[in-house]
Amino acid sequence: MKFCVAVSTWALSVVLLGAVANAQTSDSPGVTGPISGYMELHLNNEQQQDASLDFHRFVLLFSHSFTPRIRFVGELELEHAFVEGREEAGEVELEQAYIDFLVRREFNLRAGMVLVPIGIINERHEPPVFNGVERPFVDTVIVPATWFEAGAGVHGELRHGFRYRAYALAPLNALEFTADEGIREGRQKGSQANVRNVAVAGRFEYVGFPGLTAGVSAWRGKSNFAVPRLDTTVTIGEADVRYRRDRLELRGEFANVHISDAARLNESLGAATGVSPNVAEGLRGFYGEAGYRIWAAGSPRDLVAFVRYENFDTQHKMPAGFLPLKEFDRDAWITGVTYYPDADVAIKADYVWQRNQSSIVKGRNSFNVGLGWWF
Amino acid sequence: MRGAILIAVSTIVLCASTTSSEQAGPRRIDVTAERFSFFPSEIVVRTGEEIEFRVRSEDTAHGFRIEGSNVNGVVPKRGKGVLTVTTKFDRSGRYEIECTRLCGAGHDFMRGVVVVRDAVESKR
Repeated sequence: MKFCVAVSTWALSVVLLGAVANAQTSDSPGVTGPISGYMELHLNNEQQQDASLDFHRFVLLFSHSFTPRIRFVGELELEHAFVEGREEAGEVELEQAYIDFLVRREFNLRAGMVLVPIGIINERHEPPVFNGVERPFVDTVIVPATWFEAGAGVHGELRHGFRYRAYALAPLNALEFTADEGIREGRQKGSQANVRNVAVAGRFEYVGFPGLTAGVSAWRGKSNFAVPRLDTTVTIGEADVRYRRDRLELRGEFANVHISDAARLNESLGAATGVSPNVAEGLRGFYGEAGYRIWAAGSPRDLVAFVRYENFDTQHKMPAGFLPLKEFDRDAWITGVTYYPDADVAIKADYVWQRNQSSIVKGRNSFNVGLGWWF
Repeated sequence: MRGAILIAVSTIVLCASTTSSEQAGPRRIDVTAERFSFFPSEIVVRTGEEIEFRVRSEDTAHGFRIEGSNVNGVVPKRGKGVLTVTTKFDRSGRYEIECTRLCGAGHDFMRGVVVVRDAVESKR
């Protein structure tokens, strides 16, 4: 009953927003101040759980040009609306704070807090640019978006639509790896990050064909600085493609993570804490998505329907002597709609069917509604 | 029969005059802006050639500025129109294009280039 009231209230708000947008069909580009940003408010209703209303992300972006060739960009994020010391409810994160030294289009230098150049979502995650209330699972538990780290590197666009990014960054902390979320909790997030070892990350991208973006990314780094005698080197390979033609948009991504010396990592952590984290040697995930703009008359007459299949397994390959936890071999179908009362405002609704390979722990389906915007 | 010939001749004359008037106008170059790239991102023109850039966005509003030229405008959001701007490059060289409106996390990647070649060299 409570859920029905919540959904009804939400749906009414959405209808009102749409009506307001319809009433104001001005072609004005809108007014933007010195600060930009994006926000996401979510209503999540998972099976056998109470519905929750979460102001998931409140993100502000700042920029400043010292000279036309030396620029600063910052991105500050508040997650889940509220932060209190020593609690895990919310987070304040400095996701980007870098200086770009723009030398020429083919070669530029960047230093500071940077986004790791990997996958579709990590560097391109404003709510109006992806379908679904929540980001794809693969871009959450295999590629741990939003993944940001302190470091420096180069980027540029070569001829014929090829471009690249390559950075040296602080590595992951393998002591925080888990069976459920893989390497996600190992991100040091530029917070007094240990750089006894340095990781390297790179992406090569092709944007030279209308509507097409195709990329490959890699990340590699020793991640065992806290425990001597381990060789926990993490290697990530990723490939993705986006293609848009007329009303159709297709997306696909594949990511593979290899963690060397995972058996000794589990043994070391088991000896220290009494519980083995059952970290896998291999994690794997992929997804494919098709979206179709069923109403394409420009906002506020702008509606996209989509369907996505995701397969993600954080226990894909186990080290010798360890058995996989089958509830973490998961797949999901997600289908829904994104309505744009304005090109920068996205009202989303989707349904997620999630399954796993365990005969004991069942996957939970969920219904989600979201409101996201960019300004 | 005479009527048919007259219509055919009129059509040919009309087409010829339309073509000549099109040739006299600026060369039109369509550009698409989208987080975080321009397409095409590399544009080749000749010195002295009058160019009409028509820039349209696939998402939010973007800036479209060409260094060393008079081109500097705002590309309207998707479905809200096209930025049309006409210019001419008198000197050969490379003129970088950039988005001047903070458009997201990868804003600084959004760059392109206009390569201007000498008109005489181009004809050879």
